[in-house]
Amino acid sequence: MNGVSFDLQAGGALGLVGESGSGKTVTSLAILGLLPRPAAKVAAGEVWLGDRDLLRLSDREMRRLRGKEISLVPQDPMNGLNPVLTVGEQVVETIQAHEDVRRREARRRAAELLGTVGIPRPGDQLDRYPHQFSGGMRQRVLIAIALALRPALLIADEPTTALDVTVQAQVLELLRELTVERGTAMLLISHDLGIMARMTRRIMVMYAGHLVESAPTAEIFARPSHPYTAGLLRSIPRLSDVGRPLTPIAGAPPELDRPPRGCPFAPRCAWALDVCWQEMPPLENAGAANVSAAPPSGGHLLACHNPVAADEVEAGRPLASGFRPAPPPEDELVAGDTA
Amino acid sequence: MTAASPASEPVLLEVRDLSVHFPITRGTVLRRTVGHVHAVDGLSLNLATAETVGLVGESGSGKTTLGRAIVGLIRPTSGEILFRGLPLSAKGATSDRAVRSQLQMVFQDPASSLDPRWPVGASIAEPLRLNHIGTRAGRDERVSDLLEVVGLSPAHARRYPHELSGGQRQRVGLARALALKPAVIVADEAVSALDASIRAQIINLLQRLQDELRLSYLFIAHDLAVVRHLSDRVAVMYLGQIVEQADAADLYNDPRHPYTVSLLSAAPVPDPAVEARRERIVLPGDPPNPASPPAGCRFHTRCWLRKRLGDPERCAAEEPAAQLISTSHAAACHFTDEVPASAGLSAAAPPAEPAS
Repeated sequence: MNGVSFDLQAGGALGLVGESGSGKTVTSLAILGLLPRPAAKVAAGEVWLGDRDLLRLSDREMRRLRGKEISLVPQDPMNGLNPVLTVGEQVVETIQAHEDVRRREARRRAAELLGTVGIPRPGDQLDRYPHQFSGGMRQRVLIAIALALRPALLIADEPTTALDVTVQAQVLELLRELTVERGTAMLLISHDLGIMARMTRRIMVMYAGHLVESAPTAEIFARPSHPYTAGLLRSIPRLSDVGRPLTPIAGAPPELDRPPRGCPFAPRCAWALDVCWQEMPPLENAGAANVSAAPPSGGHLLACHNPVAADEVEAGRPLASGFRPAPPPEDELVAGDTA
Repeated sequence: MTAASPASEPVLLEVRDLSVHFPITRGTVLRRTVGHVHAVDGLSLNLATAETVGLVGESGSGKTTLGRAIVGLIRPTSGEILFRGLPLSAKGATSDRAVRSQLQMVFQDPASSLDPRWPVGASIAEPLRLNHIGTRAGRDERVSDLLEVVGLSPAHARRYPHELSGGQRQRVGLARALALKPAVIVADEAVSALDASIRAQIINLLQRLQDELRLSYLFIAHDLAVVRHLSDRVAVMYLGQIVEQADAADLYNDPRHPYTVSLLSAAPVPDPAVEARRERIVLPGDPPNPASPPAGCRFHTRCWLRKRLGDPERCAAEEPAAQLISTSHAAACHFTDEVPASAGLSAAAPPAEPAS
């Protein structure tokens, strides 16, 4: 992951999209201070929550903050819960780890939380074990634990990938209600553009550890400017546009242990210029006209030397006559392998 | 329930009243059967030459069991599977190998269906070797051809599965399925684990292979947009039964079963404008346990339409028969006519006041 920056405001969902290995989960773990050490470390940067830089907090301060102010809804409800403790014990444990309340009071709050996330007869469920719950119910328990201390920021990392579409709809509806009603900010990580369209106000697109584009949700879908974003949108079938042939993005993402010198998307990019092979473009405001008007987190941000023009989005290729994507420089043979 | 295939192509594969029940056993020393999971229960389905039938439904609905029964990996409890009009023996894959080789399966996770200790060329050649087809040199040549057919190079034959990307492994899985020149491929969530940009490559490959080799696909998936993109017809399964089947356009635009309506309404659509104006029917709860499906209509315990109609007794008492809506569209619901005409995806507005 390289040079990722973003702001997140209370009461709305910010989406983070990218393929496996693009750095989505690493970003969330970095915010939580949970990257495995010493294998990984945050080499540079700041994570601000309110007026504190989380990366400068001690382990102890961070531990106090996790759960209480930032919490995570993990991807896999099977692994997120301890199989040998009852669901009630796990919710109570979270509450008592951060607040000085009596067990009876913590249990009452635990039951209330399970009710909030739509678990029927919550009082009876406290003494049951995770394996006695279905996948959707387990995910609800995890959301209840994440919400136990009324965090200001909820990070949901692919919260519904393990669930069926009908149960997914229930969980997404719950997350939306909770963020709207409680004013919790949510960072929603997913590779599913349909979920992004339903849940987010703003989307960030990651590719090979870089944030390559960021814009309001409607604008990302209507007017993608990064060739990767445009390619992603053309590679998914849409129910509203049946029969349109899919245009896959050629090739496969780069291996992150030997990152390319320039833009990591250059080897797959139809818009590539010579400079793309040499230099990673900075993330800048795309609509140069309203730079001053846009708040730092707003607007349309883009990291690209040769953005996709409006009329090229539908065509899916550069329309300038005679344009050919720049080949890799001769000193660097990048394998254009088939996927 | 059977809705007719398009008349232009003859029926290649016919599933007649198929049931697969798995026993539930208790006790380790004195094992006894205490019940059965009705994974597939009295199901009928046709597949024509060069046709794709999409199969959708929640996990536990029996999609995978049906697919495995068709390729002979699971023995049916009752019912028949006919291939080119002749019944497949109930004994499974060993009995009629020549016919069975015409029915192949591609799995969700090619990483776990390829032997990690074998170069992928050996995995692709395995079905040829087991069926004593060709000489060693001839098989090597066939493996090279197959790799080129699926968009890889002959040099990939010497690679091991871990050296390939997910998309490349799925191409190898397809090459192996194609080795015996099958007529039918059961693709069980074959593109579900792939990232969007790679998934499109495999979807296009599946379509190209179908055009070139006149393959028939039973395409099992939970992604409704992918199913719509690939399928000529679509069947919707709920608790071991097909509750609705129709031409893909009819099923998505004019669903007649309330379960289909709720599946379509739950599926996220990658278009913020559409998402903002749709209302969703959120089904309560999870699918019931297939070991003891509800009496009457199996969907009645979660049905929003029944609730809206004032909980008619008939749904809980009587199992609905398939209602033919047209020659190619059938739905198993007592109240197909009550499903709002605007319930499909083509209609911008969802059915009025959806129950939640």
